[in-house]
Amino acid sequence: MITTNNQIFASYQKDPTLFDEVFDAQGEVREVYEKLFELYGNHTISNYVQLNNKAKASFFNQGITFQVYGEHETKEKIFPFDLFPRIIGPAEWDHIEKGAIQRSRALNLFLWDIYHEKKIIKDGIVPLELLSSSANYLHQMFDLDPPGGIYNHISGTDIIKHADGQYYVLEDNIRCPSGVSYVVCNRTALKRALFGVFNHCQAHTVTNYAENLLEILESVKPQGVDIPNVVVITPGMYNSAYYEHSYLAKAMGVELVEGRDLFVENDFVYMKTIKGPERVDVIYRRVDDLFIDPLEFRPDSALGVPGLFAAYRKGNVCLANAPGTGVADDKAVYTYMPEIIKYYLDESPILKNVHTYHCNRPEELRYVLEHITELVVKPVDESGGYGISIGNRLSKAEIAAVKEQIKKEPRKYIAQPIMSLSVHPTYIDESESFEQRHVDLRTFTLLGKDKEFVLKGGLSRVALKKGNLVVNSSQGGGSKDTWVLKNDQGPC
Amino acid sequence: MPLDYVVTYRAENHYDTLVNRAVWQFLIIPEDNDSQELVSVDFENSLGVPVQHSVNGLGFTTLQLHPNVPFSDVRFRATFKVMKQEVNPFDFIPLEDPSGGYRQIESLELKAQFEPFLRVTPYTRLPDDRQELYIFDREISVFDNLLALNQWVYRHLFFQSGITHIDTTLKEVIESRQGVCQDFTHLFCGLARRNQIPVRYVSGYLHQGNGYFGDSQMHAWAEAYVPGVGWIGFDPTNDILAGSNHIKVAHGKDYGDCSPLKGVIFAPGNNRTSHSVEVTAQQAQQ
Repeated sequence: MITTNNQIFASYQKDPTLFDEVFDAQGEVREVYEKLFELYGNHTISNYVQLNNKAKASFFNQGITFQVYGEHETKEKIFPFDLFPRIIGPAEWDHIEKGAIQRSRALNLFLWDIYHEKKIIKDGIVPLELLSSSANYLHQMFDLDPPGGIYNHISGTDIIKHADGQYYVLEDNIRCPSGVSYVVCNRTALKRALFGVFNHCQAHTVTNYAENLLEILESVKPQGVDIPNVVVITPGMYNSAYYEHSYLAKAMGVELVEGRDLFVENDFVYMKTIKGPERVDVIYRRVDDLFIDPLEFRPDSALGVPGLFAAYRKGNVCLANAPGTGVADDKAVYTYMPEIIKYYLDESPILKNVHTYHCNRPEELRYVLEHITELVVKPVDESGGYGISIGNRLSKAEIAAVKEQIKKEPRKYIAQPIMSLSVHPTYIDESESFEQRHVDLRTFTLLGKDKEFVLKGGLSRVALKKGNLVVNSSQGGGSKDTWVLKNDQGPC
Repeated sequence: MPLDYVVTYRAENHYDTLVNRAVWQFLIIPEDNDSQELVSVDFENSLGVPVQHSVNGLGFTTLQLHPNVPFSDVRFRATFKVMKQEVNPFDFIPLEDPSGGYRQIESLELKAQFEPFLRVTPYTRLPDDRQELYIFDREISVFDNLLALNQWVYRHLFFQSGITHIDTTLKEVIESRQGVCQDFTHLFCGLARRNQIPVRYVSGYLHQGNGYFGDSQMHAWAEAYVPGVGWIGFDPTNDILAGSNHIKVAHGKDYGDCSPLKGVIFAPGNNRTSHSVEVTAQQAQQ
């Protein structure tokens, strides 16, 4: 049995109220981490620091960076990276993978329905106001059949592990989810720095994402096209995810284009090349809905292609993801995911939703008012964290005020239990040691015509500030490589 | 007896700098539907660029031009021949029982079906203090209420060209009580939707031969969903139902979905546009 007499973890402080990914409640190393723990134990902190710094330098040298938009200037930063990987065992992963596919399929059926017959609304399962109040419910998509019947080709599902050791979904991102290029780069950097260690562990590859993405995109080619020409469209080099756009195009072996590189003639899309116009059949677009076509959406957009939507409407080109998918990754739609899964698939949700109380339902309103100190109260129509009250951090007077507010407009509020993200040992520069930091996991799911794929791995994001629960890279979050162990192998 | 119309649409654009690349989209072709038949389309432009037929986001046919020669002035002329059926707009039997009509209007089925035409859009948003400006009388049918609203809008506003522009809000229209067909129609749409009636903004041509209000431009009116009947055209600018003088081009939630000419110009500087529309009628010779 391995315990913490390992010098690299000598000063590791464990908060017993949090779920630690590496150590169980008795302080012993979990099975999946055993071998890695042993291998790391042969080294000192200074060895580790040296390797970690090398890995960071390699990111910078390769230009794997992102932009942080500041008030006065835009800074180019590397995504802080930690060499200690997160490991997920085969059984646990199987559960995540099945759950992610189930959600993607249910969301796709939901999108088809709300843009066609609208049965789920007419049956009173999902309230109409939820959709009509969303700017992403595009009238232009009504009764339009996207190629292959797919809307959310690419989904990013944000998952956390709560103090009870169970996985919960926090959010489904089906507009232009980013982050997958960091998954691949993290793996490359880790393998370069810790080649020997990685070779002892049988983790699934993540470099097959691009080939699967290309297959998915080719599966939704327009009718009558034999070998489709796929491109990636980017808003340009000033976009915060430009590195990812260029990585994906390169890894798929397709062209990376901007709006000005394409044009539409007689409702077909063409790319300008030195050999003349070349027809484009499938576009992986990393440009937001309202910017893709100035003739149909925002007229001031210089990022799009005039006439693109007409070509899409006529079925001459496929856009991935489909325009108008954003209506389903709304905070309010999220709360209906268990009902949506049940309605279309007649299955119970595999991955849990964070339980949501709707204050417009009288019994739930009563529960919320009685248990307000254990709940997070959120307005349904705000985003970016505005108007959120966390029950256990409020004063008596604030609690009374929040209660009054809810009673006045119960429709406007939802409440959720306060979730605690699991923690993972993470090397912290300031203290030169490993400390517990909160982590989440973004998984990447692809949906095509008769094909689905979940990347075995994902982006484990780490909140680098102590006690902080916000893992977003723009808020100073970092990341870890995520290993999904192969079935027939022992612990790592 | 069917009526033959000839519609001529003209537009002229002037650009301050030489334009090398542009894309224009015209939403001006009369729709082919139960009450009108599009006989012919003729489109000319001073650049001699071939015209392409396409569709807008809601599926209406558009004309597109992609000039490939530099220019600073351009003229367009489209001529349409349309055969319009002589229709009596009152030729239907509305529901006898008003409460049955409102039950349909309030059903989830109908609200989900016509959701876009119940939306409050930037053009049809009533000011906060005017939400109660016109409330339907539940004792009379939906159709009778819409007729009364049509007349109310006609009497509330004075037809005046040149006061309002394409960005004028309903707040300004209600305060100044002046406007053109777009403003009459947006006010009608805003008030009818406020009373839960699905309404479409319609863009088209009006034969002004009978002294109707219009201004030699494209005309606008509204189509409201009447339970048990379907979409009925109301022209609040003239206090009439849309009939054989109305030639429909397209509909949408508001003017934003129906603007007749959209252009993407890849050049700096300002431009000036002028449009004119002429509709002439003759009895069909059969």
